[in-house]
Amino acid sequence: MKRRELIKAGGIAGILAAAQFPLIRGAWAQDRYAKYRGQTVVMNVPAHPHYDAMAKILPEFTAQTGIKVELDKIAMGRMKDKQLLEMSKPQGDYDAVCYIVMWKGEYVKKNLVVELEPYFKNAALADPNYDIKDIVTGYLENLGLVGGKKGYLPGPGAKLYGLPYGAETSVLAYRKDIFDKHGFKPPQNYDDLQKILAPLKAKEGIGALTSRGQAGHQCVHAWLLHLNPLGGEVFDDHWNASFNKKPGIDALKLLKEISDTGPAGIPGYGQGEMINAFLQGQAAMYLDSILIMGQVNDPAKSKIAGKVGYALHPKGVRYASQSGGLGLAIPKNAKNKDAAFLLLQWLTSKSADLKVTKVGGNATRMSTLGDPDILKQYPDFAILKEQLKYVEPDWRPIIAEWDEINIQALGIAVSEALTGKKSPEEALNGMVPKVTDIMKRGGYLKA
Amino acid sequence: MNSNTRTAWLFVAPATIIMVVACLYPVISAVRLGFFEWSMGTPWSEARWSGWTSFQIAFTEPSVWRSLWTTLKFAAVSVSAEMVLGIALALALEANIRGMAFFRSLFILPMMVAPIAVGLTWRYLYDAQFGLINAVLGVFGVAAQAWLAEESLAFAAIIIADIWQWTPFVFIMVVAGLSNVDASVIEAARIDGARWWTTTMRIKLPMIADVLAITLVMRLIDAFRVLEVIYVLTFGGPGESTEVLSLHIYKTAFIGQKLGAASAISVLLLAVVMALTWLALRLSNPLKDSEGDR
Repeated sequence: MKRRELIKAGGIAGILAAAQFPLIRGAWAQDRYAKYRGQTVVMNVPAHPHYDAMAKILPEFTAQTGIKVELDKIAMGRMKDKQLLEMSKPQGDYDAVCYIVMWKGEYVKKNLVVELEPYFKNAALADPNYDIKDIVTGYLENLGLVGGKKGYLPGPGAKLYGLPYGAETSVLAYRKDIFDKHGFKPPQNYDDLQKILAPLKAKEGIGALTSRGQAGHQCVHAWLLHLNPLGGEVFDDHWNASFNKKPGIDALKLLKEISDTGPAGIPGYGQGEMINAFLQGQAAMYLDSILIMGQVNDPAKSKIAGKVGYALHPKGVRYASQSGGLGLAIPKNAKNKDAAFLLLQWLTSKSADLKVTKVGGNATRMSTLGDPDILKQYPDFAILKEQLKYVEPDWRPIIAEWDEINIQALGIAVSEALTGKKSPEEALNGMVPKVTDIMKRGGYLKA
Repeated sequence: MNSNTRTAWLFVAPATIIMVVACLYPVISAVRLGFFEWSMGTPWSEARWSGWTSFQIAFTEPSVWRSLWTTLKFAAVSVSAEMVLGIALALALEANIRGMAFFRSLFILPMMVAPIAVGLTWRYLYDAQFGLINAVLGVFGVAAQAWLAEESLAFAAIIIADIWQWTPFVFIMVVAGLSNVDASVIEAARIDGARWWTTTMRIKLPMIADVLAITLVMRLIDAFRVLEVIYVLTFGGPGESTEVLSLHIYKTAFIGQKLGAASAISVLLLAVVMALTWLALRLSNPLKDSEGDR
């Protein structure tokens, strides 16, 4: 055979092989799940709008893969107790758990969850089309990485232990109709925000800005939303308390003003009450999780459909929107780890991310946020794409001791300032010894 | 020991053994755990002996005594109100007239509701914007209150929810007690000219004193253990104004991850409840009459 004919034959063979490749890859995909067909993955999830949306697309996963999914849905506040109990048994009931970002350090420190990179490197399980770089970088780093700088940021030593699912940042939502009526503009910075609080309440007769405020995690979350853009931090680089410095006090003073000009009852508000006040038309603005975007136009929940505009979380000394939310991990004592990984991988894949976003869940991928159909359904996602540039990865210290500091220390101080029992200075300064003691016990400071 | 006594012990032994194991074993475990530092999610082999440290903290930490004081205030106010209201309701519905059985059934419904559901329901009722309570107050010209957002109001709110749920318990206990009162004694008192108040205060209630004592003790024990309703309503806030001891124990164990310290505080709670129970039983001495009969 002449050389030319040989090359031609080789080229044709190559083309034919490439044409078969999708079929081969499809076959491989089927093979990926084949071994686990018939297994059931038990997943602990919260009562949360994103996971309600996830439940709608799970039947498709089962139809495609033959792997069944059983959800154990409980209130978010009870998840950690239950998960710790299950994950500390020799073999637990859960194959996958949804965790709040604040728990990731503790779960890894206690050796309760598996590292995910070995699974992504396992050719028998990994989806070659997964494209992990498409996941919003801020979400992946915030929810998934443990072991890097400060123990929870990217950097040397960081390893992947979870995938973001229900991750969120913060955004400003406002009533376009009310703003137009009174000639207000959506505030672009904190000075503008502060200037319109009292006039909005006086002119419209409803709360200016709704907020969380209940003692514990809720009020601290609300305070952190303002602390970060105002240039504050909870700890300095040596883990000394920094929350009682000027930015922390300013943030708490602002939160008190928001409470005084907001809908009645903010010091008792959880996330649900905060959202409800806005959706029921009792507040002109909302500044918190992007969760609001999926609910504003839901006629079952909202009286303000079609009246809401969105803007960036206002700038203080910098733009610094919330990083946080929920992620998925695999317990070390799970019975069906491989099947659980396949589920996590599928849920966070490009196609499933599109599906869950269409039914009201949070988008996890940049490709979803740029999808034409999604943008038609949620035109406001354009602002979300912009907001994601300003996600602050070090929004709060994600250390094992954070729960105690969050709920039993700062959660009391912020609440006492909101009710007026103490001044912001008194409240925050008074909590320094307790927080310092906790950090000493945790080994971050010298005893 | 004669054969009758031996037989009696033989019949009582199985239940006694079960009670001892079911009650004593958890208490001994809790006391034992108080001597260790152990974090949830770690194996028992990683627990560290800490000696008396946790007990020292339990007895010296201001937040423990603050939450104990909150619990004492809560129990004193709510149980007193429940006893008074429960007795009053039982006396009011004592008459054996048509339809009374229906009303009695209606009144005991709240105590059948799970505490979590009670907490969630009252949270909506107390909502400053949309709650039914403020709506009703508005009809009478009273300004809307931020029930869960101010310390004194939040404390009143949890007491009201507890009174709503547990007054029916006092009610049915007293109804049961009153049904055993000898009617001829009441009749004789009436013939002698005694009025309703005298009959009630001097004859009926003293005759059911043992029932009242047991009811009081049971309500006190429950009031000291209250957790779910306050967890849902206020989570101990605003500040720490409604953080009762059981909620403090919960936070110490599951948020602070200090199971040993939580156990030590639980032992303190147990000691307080036992002391109160002993005091209540001693003052009422429900077995006084039966001892006198021997």
